[in-house]
Amino acid sequence: MSGLKLRGVRKSFGSVEVIRGIDLDIEPNEFVVFVGPSGCGKSTLLRMIAGLEGITEGELDIGGTRMNDVDPSKRGIAMVFQTYALYPHMSVRQNMGFALKFAGVAKDEIDRQVDEAARILELAPLMHRRPGELSGGQRQRVAIGRAIVRHPEVFLFDEPLSNLDAELRVHMRIEIARLHKELATTIIYVTHDQVEAMTLADKIVVMRDGSVAQVGSPLTLYDDPDNLFVAGFIGSPKMNFLKGVVAESGADVRLPEYGDQIIPLHDSVARPAAGTDVTVGIRPEQFEPDGRTKLDLKIEMIEHLGGETYVYASHNDGEVITVAARDARAVKPGQNFVARFNPTSVLLFGTDGNRIR
Amino acid sequence: MAQTRFDRNAQLNGWAFIMPAMMLIGIFMVYPILWSLWMSFQVGRGTNFKFGGLANVERLLNDPVFLRALTNTCIFFIVQVPIMIILALLFAVALNDSTLRFRGLFRTAIFLPCVTSLVAYSVLFKSMFSGDGVVNNVLLATHLVNDPIPWLTDPFWAKIVIILAITWRWTGYNMIFYLAALQNVDKSIYEAARIDGVPAWARFTQITIPMLKPVILFTTIISTIGTLQLFDEVNNITQGGPGDATLTLSLYIYNLTFRFMPSFGYSATVSYVIVIMVAILSIAQFMIARDRRRTA
Ligand SMILES: Nc1ncnc2c1ncn2[C@@H]1O[C@H](COP(=O)(O)OP(=O)(O)OP(=O)(O)O)[C@@H](O)[C@H]1O
Ligand SMILES: [Mg+2]
Repeated sequence: MSGLKLRGVRKSFGSVEVIRGIDLDIEPNEFVVFVGPSGCGKSTLLRMIAGLEGITEGELDIGGTRMNDVDPSKRGIAMVFQTYALYPHMSVRQNMGFALKFAGVAKDEIDRQVDEAARILELAPLMHRRPGELSGGQRQRVAIGRAIVRHPEVFLFDEPLSNLDAELRVHMRIEIARLHKELATTIIYVTHDQVEAMTLADKIVVMRDGSVAQVGSPLTLYDDPDNLFVAGFIGSPKMNFLKGVVAESGADVRLPEYGDQIIPLHDSVARPAAGTDVTVGIRPEQFEPDGRTKLDLKIEMIEHLGGETYVYASHNDGEVITVAARDARAVKPGQNFVARFNPTSVLLFGTDGNRIR
Repeated sequence: MAQTRFDRNAQLNGWAFIMPAMMLIGIFMVYPILWSLWMSFQVGRGTNFKFGGLANVERLLNDPVFLRALTNTCIFFIVQVPIMIILALLFAVALNDSTLRFRGLFRTAIFLPCVTSLVAYSVLFKSMFSGDGVVNNVLLATHLVNDPIPWLTDPFWAKIVIILAITWRWTGYNMIFYLAALQNVDKSIYEAARIDGVPAWARFTQITIPMLKPVILFTTIISTIGTLQLFDEVNNITQGGPGDATLTLSLYIYNLTFRFMPSFGYSATVSYVIVIMVAILSIAQFMIARDRRRTA
């Protein structure tokens, strides 16, 4: 079970740099998830680790060995693709045993390993079918099985669940979590589904434009984001960002767009100079009925999810704020709405997008 | 009641729509096919023939020129089709590699022969392979051979020239089919194979070829039919010579009908030999493809 070390890793396609210097440590046995918006370079980085893309600059180290120029099959990795990438003309059994055949493993040993993987993934009744005769979830399990039989040090997953329907996705997510426990290997998992990221990861790497925006445990990223990007990316619905100015006293933030509402700065926050523009971040679920600070809003739209209600409201037709309310079954669009929160739950960001702590 | 009238109307409409095409097919395909079948039982010369039963079949079996043409056709088919299919596959795989530079140029260059004029390229081949043609000059200049090769005057080399010519002309045509099929293959299958440690050659034989099997079957049948009907190249380059060394069934039919004293009945019989061979070979190829699928 190897760890990985990336140092100053860069990748350019022609003159376009898509990975711009990544430093990352992944511990043995860790479940790491790469998230980020489309096109930020998650797949590219994963494929560089796999050896499917060359590394333009920097060092890649897997299990203590420099792997920059090592053949993909010799890196101790196995990869599961978004499109499954099963060999369409082979049975499930042949698909899963194919790699071992070329690794010089004896025939009965191949059968033994394939059967073992089939047992773990509950594929035994399907061994003679072809990929075309399987459902999406079954194909995905075969693709995982094909990876398992190679006993890799590191599993790489590139959006493995994005072709499945919502219910199956939840099911497979649990399967993958169980697999991680059972196999005890390092897993690197790419997704843009933040529920997958939050539920599966030991460590999330949030990427943006080819660099790392923040690395941390799911709850660290949720509670303590380093910048506006991570704050906005993690959490659903998105965190609300309100324009604020540090008041003359330096101890409060004034919200000019919300009737000059005052938010006292709590002690742990650094005190920016009076008159500084800041962004105040508050999550929809951090509004509470007995909060000390209030915003006077007018409801524009309501989403009832059953247990929870999302209220979309604005002040004087300004920017829309999302509030997750528990007891709001009766409210209607057009009504006035008072959203309350505690000043301690807000986050402050400077004009450069970085957190003010 | 209304339902059935509607059905009948729909049926009539359907027939009305396909009738023109059916009639054209009937006049220009079915009728000649049946007529030639009828003709194949006629004996006699020119326009003066009468029913002869199986006399033509008997003549066939005792006709050394026919047997020669049959052997030649089989040699062309057995040697040329596999060479061309394999070449086309290799070209297609090479041209499908996104790291290859000038792909468009190569693709055009390989496809171009099959849109060139048949007569023009035949004349060119004839002059290139003549005793003092370009090919011999190059071979002599590079000391690969000491004496010029009698390309068009030796029975063996004449066959080689014909095989080279049709391979040159039709490889690109087959390659296009493979290229089209390859471009529909999910790239990550090959990436998975690389990670699985499958060597390049095994990727070709154990992944590419099985995945292209339906297309390979199709092109093999098309090429088989084409080669069994081989006429243009031999007629233009060697006229079947030297001796009858490159005489093919089609050329023989042509000679029987238009060059010798016309013997329509007998040439119809020879053309049915081609029909039967095409049918048998196509069925055989389908069976082979299907059997492999079962055992795989
Ligand atoms: N082979 C390539 N040639 C040129 N540019 C490429 C190539 N592959 C990827 N890119 C570019 O690199 C950037 C990162 O792509 P990548 O596939 O890594 O994004 P991603 O984060 O995986 O996005 P998604 O969530 O949509 O899968 C994109 O802007 C893409 O256009
Ligand atoms: Mg991607």
